[in-house]
Amino acid sequence: MDTMPHLSVNRSSKPNCRTVWLISVLVGLLAIHTYANDVLPVPQQVSLSANMDSQQLSISWLAGAATTFDLVILRTELDETVLSETVSVMVSQLSGRHEWNWTSVEPLECTSLSIKIRSREGQTTSEWSNTEILQGSDLPSEENFQIFPLDKVVPVGANTTFCCIMKEGNQFGKIRYGNTDLISTRLSRRSYATTVFNQGLSSSSGSNVICYDNTEQLITGVAVFVGYPPLPGDFVCETRDLTSTVCLWNERRDTNLYKSRGTRYTLNNRPCALEWSRNPQKEYRVANWEGKWTLVAVNALGQYSLTDSAKLSHRVNPVAPEHLTSVVHALNATVLWQLKYDGYYSLALVCQVELTSQGYKTKHTFTGVGLRSAVLPDLYPYEDYSVQVRCGAQQNFWKWGSWSETISFKTSSLVPESPDMWVWMNKDYTGQVMWKPLTRRQSRGLMTGYEVTLWSPEEHLQHTEIVPLDIFAVPINLTQIATVSSDNMVMATVTAKNTEGVSQPASVLIPLRLTDVDPLAVSRAVYTDQGFSLFWQSDANATFAYVVEWCNASCKWNCLVDWINVAPGNTNVSIESANFQPGVRYNISLYSSSSEAPELLQRWQGYMQELVPSSPVMSLLTTQQDSDILLSWEQIPLVSRRGFVLGYNIYMSSGSQFTLLANLSDPGSRSYKVKSMPEGSYKFTVKAYTSAGEDTGATASIMLEPFTDRLILEILASLGVTALFLVIVTFICYKKRQWVKKAFYPDIPEPKLPGDWSRSQAPLDVKPPHHSLVHMVERPEWDSSKEALVVIPEEDEDEDGQGIGEALADTDEPTSLRYYNQVVDERPIRPRYPDSSDSSASSLDSARTDVTYTGIQTSGSFVFQLDSHGSSEGHQPQADPSFCAGGGGGYRPQMQSRVVSDDTGPASPNPYPDPEAASGGGYKPQSSWQMDSPVEDGEGGSRAPSLGSPTSIASTQFLLPDGEEHTEEKRQPSSSAATWLTNLLSSTKP
Amino acid sequence: MADQEQQEHEEQSPALDSPVPGPTETGRAVSIARLLHYECGLLMQLYKEKESFLSSFSPGGGRMVSPSPVSLEEASGEQRVERLHAALRQCLGLLHCVLLKEEEEWGEQEEDYETLKKNVRVRLEHLLLCTRGLLEGPDTALEVTPDHQGTEEPDGARGVFGLKVWTYRVLLELHHWADYAAETLHIFHTERGGTADL
Repeated sequence: MDTMPHLSVNRSSKPNCRTVWLISVLVGLLAIHTYANDVLPVPQQVSLSANMDSQQLSISWLAGAATTFDLVILRTELDETVLSETVSVMVSQLSGRHEWNWTSVEPLECTSLSIKIRSREGQTTSEWSNTEILQGSDLPSEENFQIFPLDKVVPVGANTTFCCIMKEGNQFGKIRYGNTDLISTRLSRRSYATTVFNQGLSSSSGSNVICYDNTEQLITGVAVFVGYPPLPGDFVCETRDLTSTVCLWNERRDTNLYKSRGTRYTLNNRPCALEWSRNPQKEYRVANWEGKWTLVAVNALGQYSLTDSAKLSHRVNPVAPEHLTSVVHALNATVLWQLKYDGYYSLALVCQVELTSQGYKTKHTFTGVGLRSAVLPDLYPYEDYSVQVRCGAQQNFWKWGSWSETISFKTSSLVPESPDMWVWMNKDYTGQVMWKPLTRRQSRGLMTGYEVTLWSPEEHLQHTEIVPLDIFAVPINLTQIATVSSDNMVMATVTAKNTEGVSQPASVLIPLRLTDVDPLAVSRAVYTDQGFSLFWQSDANATFAYVVEWCNASCKWNCLVDWINVAPGNTNVSIESANFQPGVRYNISLYSSSSEAPELLQRWQGYMQELVPSSPVMSLLTTQQDSDILLSWEQIPLVSRRGFVLGYNIYMSSGSQFTLLANLSDPGSRSYKVKSMPEGSYKFTVKAYTSAGEDTGATASIMLEPFTDRLILEILASLGVTALFLVIVTFICYKKRQWVKKAFYPDIPEPKLPGDWSRSQAPLDVKPPHHSLVHMVERPEWDSSKEALVVIPEEDEDEDGQGIGEALADTDEPTSLRYYNQVVDERPIRPRYPDSSDSSASSLDSARTDVTYTGIQTSGSFVFQLDSHGSSEGHQPQADPSFCAGGGGGYRPQMQSRVVSDDTGPASPNPYPDPEAASGGGYKPQSSWQMDSPVEDGEGGSRAPSLGSPTSIASTQFLLPDGEEHTEEKRQPSSSAATWLTNLLSSTKP
Repeated sequence: MADQEQQEHEEQSPALDSPVPGPTETGRAVSIARLLHYECGLLMQLYKEKESFLSSFSPGGGRMVSPSPVSLEEASGEQRVERLHAALRQCLGLLHCVLLKEEEEWGEQEEDYETLKKNVRVRLEHLLLCTRGLLEGPDTALEVTPDHQGTEEPDGARGVFGLKVWTYRVLLELHHWADYAAETLHIFHTERGGTADL
C-alpha cells in the first residue's frame, strides 16, 4: 500500500482538531475507495490451452499484481454454469502471467465452454474479462457422429464421463456401456453425456461405449480400457558370461493393458527395448556390469520403481555346459562336457549331474575348478540312462545355471544275478521248484534261459533241466532222485543264463523226511495298510535269514506260493502283494533260511479283508427230542467262509421275520437245542458270522408232533403205581388178616343144632317138605341167644311162589339143594343197605345174630346182610352199590313192615329207596350155593350170583320176592366185583 | 482347443464330408472354397461373440472388395474365375491389414481366435493358388500376394472402436467372397465336366 494516501495531523489548531480529524478520516476513506476502483486490474489477454486427453484446461491471463480472481466457466450453448469459483493465483515467474488449470469431468470436446475472469480484492472486484470460448466438437461445422473421450485408459474403480455428439439432423437415442444402457444428460443441442461409475476390468480389447441415434441404426462408439498401474517384482541382476548383466523381474499383476498401452520399462534411465509379450517374466540384458540398477515401470495409469545392487562374483549364473559325451562301462560311466566361456575355466564350479533311469532321477554333485567331467558310479549293467548337467559358482553360490542338453547311453552287460528260488513240497515227495523271474536289472543282459538241477549228495545222483525264459516253476519228484530215508536230502539249484554267462546258483536243501507239518500253533495275521504285519521271536544268536511264504489256505496240492526273503536279525516284516484278494484265507509260513534245510518256524493265517461267508452252514438238520428241537449242522467249507467264523446266530423265522434265539460265540459250535417247544411247525435259520457280518443263512423246518411215548409212559407209570398200591394193600391186609377178619368177618359161631349135623364130604341133598318152610329171621330186639322158627303161612308162600322161576314152577317136587360142606365161605359179612338191615342172615356181631334155617326152595341170592344195629354203633356203613343186589335178592329175613319202618330210622339213612321194602313182597326160595363170578350174567335167570356162604348153611330155602330178581340182576356186576374181592380176602386164610 | 473344435465343425459340415470327386483341380478348388466359406463363418461368429455389440449391428458402406466389373452374363467361366481371383487377392490384402492392425493394437489375443484367423489366411492363400492354377496359361501370370500392403485405414469411426467395426466389415467381406468363390468355382467345375453334386 505504498500508494496509500499519507495522512498528516496538525496539532496546533486544537479547537478544530476533532473536526479536522474526522474530516480527514472520511476523506481518506473516500480516497481509498476511489483508488481501489481505479487500481484493480481487469484480467487481460485471457488464453486457453486444452489437453483433450487429460481433459485439462489451462487458463492464463494478465492481471498485474492481483492474486484473487473470480472464474466462471459456462457451457456456451445452453449458458449453463460449469464452474464459478474464486481462486488465488500467483503470477508465474516463468511466463509473467497468471495461470490456472482446471480438469473437466466431461471431455473438453463435448461442447463449447465460455470462460471469463475478474480480479477480486476482498469484496472489490474488477470488471469481467472478455469471455473466451473453448470450441467443442459440437459446432455446426462438424456434422459427424462423434463420441468422446477416445480410447481412454482408466484405473479400475474410476468414474468416467462420456459424451456423444449427434450427427446433424439426427436425434439422440441412448448410450450403452457394454450391455448396459446409461442415463444421459444434455450438454448442448447435439451433445449428450453420461458417466460410468466404479468401472471394472475391461476386456483385453477394451469395453465398448456406444452411442445410438433414436433409430438405433446409426451408431458410433469408443473403447475404454480399464486396468491397473504396473507392479513389477523380484527384480535382480546377474551375470552369465562373467561380463555382461542380465536383469530379471516379473509382473506381479496383470495390468490388463497390452501392446501400445502396455507397461514400458527403463533400466538405469535407459529404455528397455523389450519385445512385447504377455509373459510376466521379463529379462533384459545390459552389456556391462554396473553394480547398481534401478528399474522403472510405467503405463498410462502410473509407474513403479525397483532397485538392485551386487558384486559380479556374487551373481554368477553359469550358462549350461555344452557338448556332453560319455564313456560307458557295465557298472559306471564318465560324463564329459565343455564350458561356453573361457572365464569359467578358472572359476571354481560345482556341477550337478542328473541321472535318469526307468523314470527315476538321481542327482550327483561334483566340484572343481573349471569342472568338465564326472564319473557316475553304481550303475546297473545293461541299463539305459540319460544324463544332463548344470553348474554354479562354488564360492558365493548364487544359483544353479541352466541344464545342459540331455545325452543317453546304455551300460554294458554282466552275468545275471542269482534267481530268488523256493520249493513247495507236497506230502508225497513231489513238489515244485519255483523262482521269481529276473527283472530287467537283475538280468543284467539279454536272458537266454534257466537251469534247474536236483542233486542227491548221498547218492551222487543229479538231474538237470534246461528251462525256457517264460517258465518259472518245475515239478519235481524226489523219489526219482534219492531213496526216501530220514537222512537223505536233495539239493535243488536254479541258475539263470544270459548272453554274458551263467549266474551264481541259488539252492534249497530239501529233506526226505516229509511229515505232516503242522507242528506249530497257527496265529492270526492282521492286514493293515502296509500288508500283513508279522512278528516273531528270534534267537539273539541266530544268524540265519528267513523266508516268509504265503499261499491260499484252501490249496493243498502244488500250490502257487509267493515268498520273500528276510535278512537275518529281523523279527518282523510286512508282506504285501497285488495278488492278495479279499475273502481268501492265506497261510503264511516263516522258514529259516540257511545252508541247512529250511525249517518251519511259525505259521499265520489271515485275510486281506474278511467278507461275509459266501454260503451258509452245511447239512442243517432239525431233530425232535421230546419237546425239544435239536439243530445240528456242519461247518462252512473253507473256501466259502471268507473270514474267520466268530460264531453262529440262531433265528426262528416266521414269514419274513426273524427272531434271534441264540448267539453262539463259539465258532466250534455244531448244534443247538431249542427247548420246550409246543407242538407246531417251526422254521429255523442258522447264520454264521465273521467280522464282516452274517451269511445268508441256512434254513430248516420241523413239525413238532405230540409226544405219544411220554403219554404211554405216564399211563404205565400210573398203572404201576396203582398196582404197587394194591400189592401193598394186599400185603398189609394179608399181614393183618387176623385183624381184618376180626374186624370185618368175625367168626360166626357154629349153630348148635340138635341132631347129627356133622358134615360129610358128600353133597347134602335136602328135600324140604312142601309146607314146612323154615325162615331165618333176624330180630334185633331179640336176644341173640334166642332162636325162633317162624312158620310162614301158606298164603304167603303161594303168593311168593308165583314169582319163582319156571324151573320151579315146572316141578311138583320140592327143589333139591346140593350143599357142599367143604365150601366154607369165610368172607366177611358185608354191610348192607339199610333196607337190608331187616335181614339178619349174618351179622358182624355174631352174638346178636339169629340164624333161621329154612328150606331153600330154589336158587337165589344168599347174601349176608350187615346188622344195622351192630354197625350203627361204630360207624354208619356206606351204601355200596355193589351190594345193592343183595338188598334186592339177598339173604334177608321175612319182611315185617312194622319192623322195617323201625329200622329205617334216622340212624340208618338209606340214600336209595328200597323197592323191596316198598313192595313188601314175598321171597323167593334161595337156590343152591354158587361161586360168585362176574361172568354169570347169562345165567342170571336161573342162578343168581352169591357170596360165599358163611360158616352156616341155610338148610332151607329162602323165599325171595319175585319182582326183585331183575333188580338184582342189574346190580350183579358190582356185586360180583365185591364178591370177588371178598373171596380173595377169604382165600388168603391159611 | 480351437483345432479340436475346428475338426468337429469340419466333421459336421456336409460339404466337407463329401469326398472330392476325382483329382481334378476344379473339384479341389470348390472344396477349398467351401472350407474357406465355412471357416470364415466360424471366424465371424467368434468375433461377434468377442464383441457382443456386433450381434445387433449391420454395418453399411457397401462392398469393400470391388474387382473389375465383368458382365456375368457375358463373361466366360475363365473370366469369372479371374474376377474371383482378383477379389480374393483384395480379401487377402484386407485380412493382412486386420492381422497387422490387431497385432499393433492388442498383440496376440485369445488363442482360438488367433488360430482361426491364421487358418483363414492360409486357406485363402491356398485358394488363390488353386484359382491361379485353374487360369494359368501361356498368356496369364496371376499374382497371389495381397492386393495392398495393409495400409488401408479403417473408415468411419475412429480409434479402437472404428478398428473393431472395420474388422467386422472385413470378415463379412471375406465370408461373402468365400461364398461367391464356392459358387463360381462349382459352376466352373461343372462347365469343365466335373460332377454337379460335389
